[in-house]
Amino acid sequence: MNRTMRASRSLAATVLVAWGWIALLGGCAGLIRAPRGEALRISEFEQLGDARRRASTRLVVEGLDAEIASTPQRALGRYERAIQIDPGNPFAYLALARYYAAIADPERALEHLDRAQSLLDPDGALYRSAEPHLWGLRGWALVKAGWLADAVPLLAEARRLAPSVWGDGRLDAGELR
Amino acid sequence: MSKQVHGWLRKLIWFGVAVGFVAGFASSVVVIRLDRIVRTRFEGQRFLVPSRVYSAPSILYPGLDIELADLRGTFVRLGYRQAGSDGSVQQGQYSWQKHRVRVHLRAFEHPTRSEPARDVVFIVRDGFIEEILELPVGRTLGAVLLQPEQLGAYYGPDRAQRELIRLEALPLHLVDAIVAVEDQRFEAHPGIDVRRIGGALLANLRAGGIRQGGSTLTQQLVKNFFLTPERTLKRKVHEAVMALLVELRYDKREILETYLNEIYLGQRGSTAIHGVGEAALRFFGKPAQNLSLAESALLAALIQSPNGISPYRNPEGARGRRDLVLGLMAEQGRIEPAQRDAAIAEPLNLAAITADPGDARYFLDFLRVQLSDSYDATVLSSQGLKVYSTLESRTQRLAATALREGIEQLERQFPALVPDDPTRALQGCIIAIRPQTGEIVALVGGRDYQLSQFDRCTQARRPSGSTFKPFVYIAGLEPRVGGPVITLASFLDDSPLEVATPSGPWQPRNFDREFHGRVSVREAIERSFNVATARLAQEIGIGRVADVARRMGIESELPLVPSLALGVADVSPLEMARAYATIAGGGVRPQVHAIEDLVNPAGETLERRELRHKRVIDAGTAYLATSLLQGVAHRGTAAGVRSTGITGPIAAKTGTSDEEHDLWFVGYTPELVVAVWIGFDEPRSIGFASSRGALPIWRRFIGELTGGQIHGQFPRPPSIVVADIDPVTGARALWGCPDRRRELFLEGTLPEEVCPGGAVAGSEEDGRQRTQERFFEWLRRHL
Repeated sequence: MNRTMRASRSLAATVLVAWGWIALLGGCAGLIRAPRGEALRISEFEQLGDARRRASTRLVVEGLDAEIASTPQRALGRYERAIQIDPGNPFAYLALARYYAAIADPERALEHLDRAQSLLDPDGALYRSAEPHLWGLRGWALVKAGWLADAVPLLAEARRLAPSVWGDGRLDAGELR
Repeated sequence: MSKQVHGWLRKLIWFGVAVGFVAGFASSVVVIRLDRIVRTRFEGQRFLVPSRVYSAPSILYPGLDIELADLRGTFVRLGYRQAGSDGSVQQGQYSWQKHRVRVHLRAFEHPTRSEPARDVVFIVRDGFIEEILELPVGRTLGAVLLQPEQLGAYYGPDRAQRELIRLEALPLHLVDAIVAVEDQRFEAHPGIDVRRIGGALLANLRAGGIRQGGSTLTQQLVKNFFLTPERTLKRKVHEAVMALLVELRYDKREILETYLNEIYLGQRGSTAIHGVGEAALRFFGKPAQNLSLAESALLAALIQSPNGISPYRNPEGARGRRDLVLGLMAEQGRIEPAQRDAAIAEPLNLAAITADPGDARYFLDFLRVQLSDSYDATVLSSQGLKVYSTLESRTQRLAATALREGIEQLERQFPALVPDDPTRALQGCIIAIRPQTGEIVALVGGRDYQLSQFDRCTQARRPSGSTFKPFVYIAGLEPRVGGPVITLASFLDDSPLEVATPSGPWQPRNFDREFHGRVSVREAIERSFNVATARLAQEIGIGRVADVARRMGIESELPLVPSLALGVADVSPLEMARAYATIAGGGVRPQVHAIEDLVNPAGETLERRELRHKRVIDAGTAYLATSLLQGVAHRGTAAGVRSTGITGPIAAKTGTSDEEHDLWFVGYTPELVVAVWIGFDEPRSIGFASSRGALPIWRRFIGELTGGQIHGQFPRPPSIVVADIDPVTGARALWGCPDRRRELFLEGTLPEEVCPGGAVAGSEEDGRQRTQERFFEWLRRHL
């Protein structure tokens, strides 16, 4: 009886220690990883960064909401204000790139995409979660520009990284939000 | 006899008929002419409305330092008033407590960024906004946009400013107040009021001079609209005839609306205030439709003598006349006695005087040039457009102050700089651009606009001195077939150099008149060595250097001569700011712009400048250049930027042209590029270098703007790798190398040599070293 109890106690302790390690490692991983999800959703970053970045990101989210509500002019105003208070916020340029790709202005979409990419740390977790959008938006813009051959591999990569978002070869405001 | 009488009588009658006919004909001609004048003016564009220029809006959000953002000053400039002591905060008012600032924001109409009127509370802790709540529900807001500040307007020759209003939008008590005091029988008379003229005549006869006017509103309108202010019988007759014509042709509402938009209501500086719409904004900081009874009565009171009883200069006189108007309104049954008494008890409650801030006049001129393709001076001074600019009001004011005070300080330190003729005084300019967007957020083209309207930031072209050198280094660092000419581990030769040119041999010299032999790339730019840089440019090719400069935004002509490398080309501070913005923006050149959009009075967007960028140099090279210029600001000729304790990332370059004619300082943070130029319009020696002249102005400006703490960082692109090098040889410092420093490289450009005594590249030790480097690099990036 005692032996069984001892065995079950040591098993419980082992499980507990193992669980502790898993939690610790998971926690560490959580600290350095982007929020869960297969592709970046900007609203998940509303509370990250310093005060300016948070306010700026909130404005980007408001802009995406405005696009969802079919008020694109208001959305544009929100993105521009987001850049005004934090010109280094990659989300604002990403949202602008999506906006211009959606209205078939590939040149501007690509310009904003370049800017967004230049503001993302390529080794950072944020870059990894934004990667499907970087591939996909470039591909989408190239489709709009009529360069299908160049666009296909980019869209294929985006689809591979985030099939549920880029499966249809486009990114809705709601999917980026 | 009777025949004779009859003959005379007949002649007299005929004469009378003839005179009557001629007089009738002549008056018909006059009436037709006057009628044509009335119709032309009434049916054409009635008012010339100057276009207004606005700043970028202020955005308030949690975490913002309210002192740095100058929150109270912004409220005052926007015409917000302190709320009364009863605890209510009306639209356009604010209440200020230590930990709680409440403001009832006015609505703002704009095609893309309209904001509703909202009652907002800022919870303040330790000088920072902690939370923003919208009343009455207490909903938390992420950010609040204030309406933009008016920077100025494009006036016509009369410098008249007006805000057009529609009669139906005005409160009834405003119309009633004006009619009560100026023309109580307005609805009944046909343009002239005989009873009133008679009354005025009697009053004037009794007083022995002109004390009272008998003009109706229509006559006042005619006088202001069509006629000169002279007091002659002919003008009076014309006035009466035209008043009748106006009443015949147009209905009372149209006449009243025109009158309300036309009436002169005072002066603000050199600007004449016309119409109740403009007066409401200027005197009370609110649209006319929101005027209270007391405020309406004050505007009506001002019509008689706008400057004599100006509420700012003569508050007692203004208040007395206002109360008289309120009394008349009650007497005529337009308001109840209780309303009169309540309005009389109100103080004048004026908005603070917010004259056009003179600081932005160079910017306004620059905007006018940018707009001139489609919108010439006539259009801008008459169409009432709204130009929303990129200028940031606070940034502009700080830039103007830094420049003015900086130059004055130099003149105090070096009295020889002060000439007898003030028009030949030491001048300067400062321009600030956002590198990611290309927006001009501050532009001051000279120390005093009244003294000289020449904009030295956008119109002047002056030798750029050493601020040109980064283009040489970028040309050297850029990837090219066979690899870049230099890396940051390279060494340059700073020994005597002679280059043959068509005008004879050219021998560059250093500022300290010495040669420094073998110097590292970093040392060469940090200490701004001319000879090493000139030799590097020769190696790269001057054409290639010029090409880099052009790609980065230099549009002025660049002579392909060896001395180009040292900044002999004449360029504008605007161009230099744009080129440095390209480096700060990671090699992406922004389209510099000053206008966000242009909106017509109907609220339609006529023009909109979108953000545009173009990659012109690769991101890795731009990052290396930034790293070099950070070294200049840290250890080199620009190290003085931190002498007042400014912290955070700064990259900068000093520049002093030959014989110290021009002092330049171009520096940037992750979010702002600022170029400063100091010199005389007719070039002469200033007598000292840029680090003593232009740098302190830059430092003062950035220090004030950021509070001494610069945020953000220059993003490192993926093509950059970090490796240890031997500082003496520039070779890789692997395991076993005694001395080392970290250096940045473009991928694939690491030195192949290894320091003497170090491990062999590819060996086991080397592998261990690389693994360690990779691990620490990973840790650095992730933690």
